[in-house]
Amino acid sequence: MIVLDKVDKVFPGSTIPAVNQISFQIDEGNICVFVGPSGCGKTTILRMINRLVEPTGGEIYIKGKKVSDKEVNPDELRREIGYVIQQIGLMPHRTVEQNVALVPRLLKWPEEKISLRVKELLETVGLDAEEVSRKYPYQLSGGMMQRVGVARALAADPPIMLMDEPFGAVDPIVRGRLQDEFLRLQKALKKTICFVTHDINEAIKMGDHIVIMNKGELVQHGTPMEILCNPANYFVKDLIGTDREIKLLELTKSEELVTRTKNIPEQIIEKDSFILAIDPVQRALEIMMKKNSDLVGVRDGAEMIGTISWEDIKKHINMISGDN
Amino acid sequence: MTPLSLALALFWFSNFYDEYLGFIQFIIRRWDRVIEYTFNHFSLVLTVMFFSLILWISVGLIISRYEKLASTAFGIGNILFVIPSISLFGIFITIPMLGLGRTSAALALILYAMMPMIRNVYRGIKSVEWPILDAARGMGMSAKQILFQIQIPIAWPIIFAGIRVTVVMITGIATVATFIGERNLGRFIHHGIARESADMIIAGAVIVSVIAILLDFVLGKIEYKITSPGLRRV
Repeated sequence: MIVLDKVDKVFPGSTIPAVNQISFQIDEGNICVFVGPSGCGKTTILRMINRLVEPTGGEIYIKGKKVSDKEVNPDELRREIGYVIQQIGLMPHRTVEQNVALVPRLLKWPEEKISLRVKELLETVGLDAEEVSRKYPYQLSGGMMQRVGVARALAADPPIMLMDEPFGAVDPIVRGRLQDEFLRLQKALKKTICFVTHDINEAIKMGDHIVIMNKGELVQHGTPMEILCNPANYFVKDLIGTDREIKLLELTKSEELVTRTKNIPEQIIEKDSFILAIDPVQRALEIMMKKNSDLVGVRDGAEMIGTISWEDIKKHINMISGDN
Repeated sequence: MTPLSLALALFWFSNFYDEYLGFIQFIIRRWDRVIEYTFNHFSLVLTVMFFSLILWISVGLIISRYEKLASTAFGIGNILFVIPSISLFGIFITIPMLGLGRTSAALALILYAMMPMIRNVYRGIKSVEWPILDAARGMGMSAKQILFQIQIPIAWPIIFAGIRVTVVMITGIATVATFIGERNLGRFIHHGIARESADMIIAGAVIVSVIAILLDFVLGKIEYKITSPGLRRV
């Protein structure tokens, strides 16, 4: 869907490239997260995809078409790509309705279609269209503004979304909720998303694919699991932090570790220490600690399918983290 | 103590009352002149504002885009602004083809308007925060759409503040144009000084002030109308 081929960017007045010979590809319907410290070039890559920044070398292709093609008008290109930034950038002199309708109006949609679309979108991102559409941005809370920002980017139903730390400006509780909602939304929308963050936890949570960058170089890319299991070097290890194993358990579903059995021990049923097959293994640890036992039962819906023991979890961690 | 201050207050009031009546009576007595001068004054201000808006808003927009021109333009504006008005009028009448009269008066006043106008247009356009512009570009608005749909509407309150200051200032300085042949309210003040007639001076000054306040009031109403409620909370 999006291909970067040896993309370079050297900003005027600088000798060090902000982005150095980056090549990779983002598949359709995936969330690709760029993660790294500030100044690593992740935002620059994002801004090169919609040509807010012009690369000094290499090529970027969207659906096989060069974006730097002379026939491509950058403004028209950008109308096909959703864009969300941390500071949101809502137009303060326009109502929520007018903000969300911005791109459809640029594309000259008929007004009835626009007003239906705006209503639908505001509901999609979890806002009360009735209540909110005539308000001005200053009347909204940070979380609401961020939702409007996402709705605005989705307005013309672009196949691609660029999101630069979209949940960076809200408090952790709201951020978690927005992330969950966005993932749920994405399941239905199947957009191709480039997502920039400096928070590795957000990257692991949101990403189908993670690109780790440092000083303009691509350090490692792969699925969250691949990166957690095989960090390429100390930089990646550092970035992941000391709780790599815990993060792995967050990504592992209980059904992968379950020992299937029909005989569930009495004590598990008595204490009701069950988790769901789709729960992360981390949940099993929580239950073990809470119920003070080494064994939890696993249920798939109402059916009891087996157990996970403390030994299973330890073995699993040792196996995939490769420290033993 | 009390009777004395009361007497003083009465004395001051009666004096003030005489003066007050005096200039009202002057206006009534010279009604035809008042009408003529007020009309001339008003039309000069409107002419100057008409050309100033077109010229200086354009210049303000240009310098907010081409940063390098900004310091030059501000330099010129400031220099013009510190030239004493009477000498600026004087300079204009020495230019052939212009001479005494309305053209010279209008041109000098237009130059005076430069500084407050371009500075506020520039400041207004620059007050639009970067994320707003970045989002606008990122969503595919062209430079022209960003200017007319984003920058100018957001800058309105600041641009308008500049317009209001300019109008009040021009209304005041226009009185000086009487020395180069304008028959406007400045003439009352000028002649009043020459004849040591306080009534005349006050009549001129009061009418000028009323015009300035009136214009400012009307512009304030217009400003309120065209400023988006989303920007009004300040």
